[in-house]
Amino acid sequence: MSFVILVLLLPLLAALIVVVGRPRSLDQRAKIGALPIIAAFFVAVVTLVLVSSQGPISLRFYEPRSPANLALPIGVYVDRLSAVMMTLITAVGTIIYLYSTGYMYQDRGYRRYLGLIAFTTFVLLCMVSSANLMMLFVFWQILSWLLFLLAHNHAHAATLQGACKTFTLLRVGDAAFLAGIVLAHALYGTVEFQELFARAAATPVVLSPLPGLEISGATAVTLLIFGGAMSKSAQFPMHIWLPSSLYAPTPIHALLHAGIINAGGFLLNRLAPLYGLSPATLHVVFVVGMLTAVLGASMMLVQNDIKKTLGFSTIGQMGYMIMECGLGAFALAVFHLIAHGLFKATVFLNCGNVIHKVRQEPVSPHAHHAVEEHELPRLTWATGFLTTLLLPLVILLVTHGVLRIPLLDSQGTVIFLFFIWITSSQAILTLTRLRAVASWKVSVAMLLTLLFVVFTYLFAAEAFTHFLYPDPREVASYFRTAALPGRLFDGLVVGTTLLTTLGWVYLYAQAHGRTVRMPVWVQALRVRLYVLFMNRLYVDVLHDRLGRWIMRLAHGLDKHSLGRSR
Amino acid sequence: MAEGMSLWMPAAISLAGAVSGFAVWSRPMALKMWTLAVSLASLASLVVLSGAGGGVLLPALLPIASFLSLLGQPPHEDNRAAWIMTLLLLGLGLGVTAGRDGERMILLTLLLSLLVALLYRYRALSVSHLWQGIGMYGLGVVCLATALAAPAPVSAAAALAVCAMLLPLAPVHAGYVAALAGLPGNLPAFLACLLPALGFHGLLVVLPSLPETVRTALPLLGLVGAIYGTLKALAQSRIRALLAYANLSFFSILWWYVASARTVPPQATLYIGSVSLATTGLLLAWYAMRARYGDMDLRAIRGLAHPMPRFAVLFMLLALAALGLPPFGVFAGFMGLLLTPALPLSGALVVIVLAWLAASWYFLDLLQRLLFGRHRPDLRYEDLHRTELAALLMLVIILLVMGVAPTRVFEPGTPVPRPSVAAGGLAWNK
Repeated sequence: MSFVILVLLLPLLAALIVVVGRPRSLDQRAKIGALPIIAAFFVAVVTLVLVSSQGPISLRFYEPRSPANLALPIGVYVDRLSAVMMTLITAVGTIIYLYSTGYMYQDRGYRRYLGLIAFTTFVLLCMVSSANLMMLFVFWQILSWLLFLLAHNHAHAATLQGACKTFTLLRVGDAAFLAGIVLAHALYGTVEFQELFARAAATPVVLSPLPGLEISGATAVTLLIFGGAMSKSAQFPMHIWLPSSLYAPTPIHALLHAGIINAGGFLLNRLAPLYGLSPATLHVVFVVGMLTAVLGASMMLVQNDIKKTLGFSTIGQMGYMIMECGLGAFALAVFHLIAHGLFKATVFLNCGNVIHKVRQEPVSPHAHHAVEEHELPRLTWATGFLTTLLLPLVILLVTHGVLRIPLLDSQGTVIFLFFIWITSSQAILTLTRLRAVASWKVSVAMLLTLLFVVFTYLFAAEAFTHFLYPDPREVASYFRTAALPGRLFDGLVVGTTLLTTLGWVYLYAQAHGRTVRMPVWVQALRVRLYVLFMNRLYVDVLHDRLGRWIMRLAHGLDKHSLGRSR
Repeated sequence: MAEGMSLWMPAAISLAGAVSGFAVWSRPMALKMWTLAVSLASLASLVVLSGAGGGVLLPALLPIASFLSLLGQPPHEDNRAAWIMTLLLLGLGLGVTAGRDGERMILLTLLLSLLVALLYRYRALSVSHLWQGIGMYGLGVVCLATALAAPAPVSAAAALAVCAMLLPLAPVHAGYVAALAGLPGNLPAFLACLLPALGFHGLLVVLPSLPETVRTALPLLGLVGAIYGTLKALAQSRIRALLAYANLSFFSILWWYVASARTVPPQATLYIGSVSLATTGLLLAWYAMRARYGDMDLRAIRGLAHPMPRFAVLFMLLALAALGLPPFGVFAGFMGLLLTPALPLSGALVVIVLAWLAASWYFLDLLQRLLFGRHRPDLRYEDLHRTELAALLMLVIILLVMGVAPTRVFEPGTPVPRPSVAAGGLAWNK
């Protein structure tokens, strides 16, 4: 089973092939460098098949009980989660590497860039196959530094500033992660995953950090580690590094949005048994995820730059992914991150072409596409109504009655259904709005497509949950721990449904020239919110002010102390 | 007897080498080769005579630092005094680690006096901190005399004060800052290793005999030092002062740990050694810049990544090691300390983690200022020479090895006081 090491080492070999050698052979080396990454993908697929049939692979190059080698305990633990992530990373890494050999051809930083892509793939693979929490943390930090280098251009001031902000914020997350590991080790005496889970479950500890405040050991550890996940997965308010890093070359974003940013979701999944012990943490995770999803999507709507739009879209999606973890739907979060990763990689790899094309053809979309029909035919309206209001009921009934998925016990699945409904309805209604075709064929085709998409998604998600977490009791226990009070959850779902539907009605009316009377205060609020979201809630400004305040404090102290610098 | 001799041998080699170096004083290249040979001979004798087992690491770092700091030096007559002083300080330092109480005190007195003389001699070069440094090391000499003459609790406190001057702890850190920021040539790079090693060695000896009140106050001083060092490092625009204050912050963390846990695990040696070596590396790299452009402010130069790629890569790796990123020794030592069972869990950990986090900030700022941005077209750029490259590369490799080597290599070898309260553990735990 030691061949699994090859998956990790092959991208490293690719990085060495690209970096070591003379400049004149660089093109050849760049092409040869693709081979080990492609090979890593195939080995990852074989590993996935083997792990699925024969169970996890574990290789340790250290003695867990010896304190003498705790600082860098290297080992590999590949279960189904790791194997899936390894396959995803090598697949995306291969595509991005191959794309980059053409996209970055003859760029001054070609060698550095390709070397970094291959090395980042290696680090990501090591991170997802870590045998223990310490090794995961080691590669987690190296990833922070690589992100700084990837989002970096020596000679461009704005890029440098963005890269600096990226590293600073990622290090804040790293510090929280470090504190979590230290606390976990102090409370449970181990950083080995399985032992840690077993001890945390077997010996509940209550901490009292402040008089009158009591917190369980598992909650404290998971909250701190969640700080790390928040920074890597760009959760509010630590999301500001992502838009700042958008000056980097386009393929970097494909890798970032398809691989690196998913680290938070992976971390929560890897530590799911620990998170499953703390309802409080899962509720915090849910709230942070929900806030990020709402704010990320809202900020996305007011961007006027394709990359920033995609960047904020990713923030929103990551919020959704984290929210799923907060609802105990850990496997769904992985499913989501894979789907989103592949989709976003494709979009980012293509967005450079779109920008290029728009620069060549300033009238885009083409004139004959731009003419919209201003009337909303009844049939189209009826299709929209069915899609938005009646179809969810059908889906719920089928899911609950036919597929026998216990919706009442799994809020995560409800949220997933909700997500499927909103996104697919939105997509189809947007198409309807654009073309406004009043045809039975089109309407029926759309409804059927929507149903097909929803049920395929649902089936795939259920199958994937069973694949990642074969024991249904484990899945059920996560759902139970994460469950919000029933009325609160129902209120959230109903409230969001109403808001979404009202939003659609309003948008349709606006799009078709109908007058919607709004109170003055709502109009004023709209303008204020627009400005607020356009300025990204001023979180960047607050971050900068905090930095300046610390620097003023430092300079004040330096000025008034002995031995001041001159 | 033979064991005692074996510990003294490296010190004797260095001191004899320093004296005989005057024989080739008029030929800088020959003098440089001689000092390199003496450093290697000290290291070899230390390793061979002490055995390659645990406990040799900290004394061995001294000749290693001496060798590497001398290796990258240009053979110029202005540097000769610094080279001889390096050997002299090396001999005294090795003597301090080898000697017993009385001998150690005398050698330390000589060493501090020599530092006072050096700071006074090179006062024109020193931009700041000079008089505080001279005063502090002068006070150190008085403390050593007190430690020799006074009865038990006072002598322990006086010895501890000297340790705090060497392994810097606020408020007696000024000598360390002055030595790193004010001395010429390779001396700051060498002293960055020598002073903390001697301070740590002294701390191991003096810790069991400290009065309870002093033990209680030390963790607080450690925390204050960590915050103070961090804020001062953030405000510096000169790299040597920045590194000195960064080290004040890092070593204050160690003071806090040792005083709170009341034990000195092997990881502490690793931590001290790697923080010191990373600083040595950064000071050497900066020396290469000073040799080309003079002692300048960080605001006066930028964009070196493109015209000086070898310098940029090595400087970046050393800065990464210094800020505590894996897989270098500083990270291994820091995590090793925090993952020992003796770690006292308290709110102070928040300060420690924040100090660690802030290091990313000021070291990243240093990298941004020095390496990135558009380079100045009015300067002539010349990348690292072979010897400079070799010295920095070796330092990076050593830091890497320290980050991945098994921790038993770093056993201090000196009797360690047993943990008295820390094993009881979790103050938070209800």
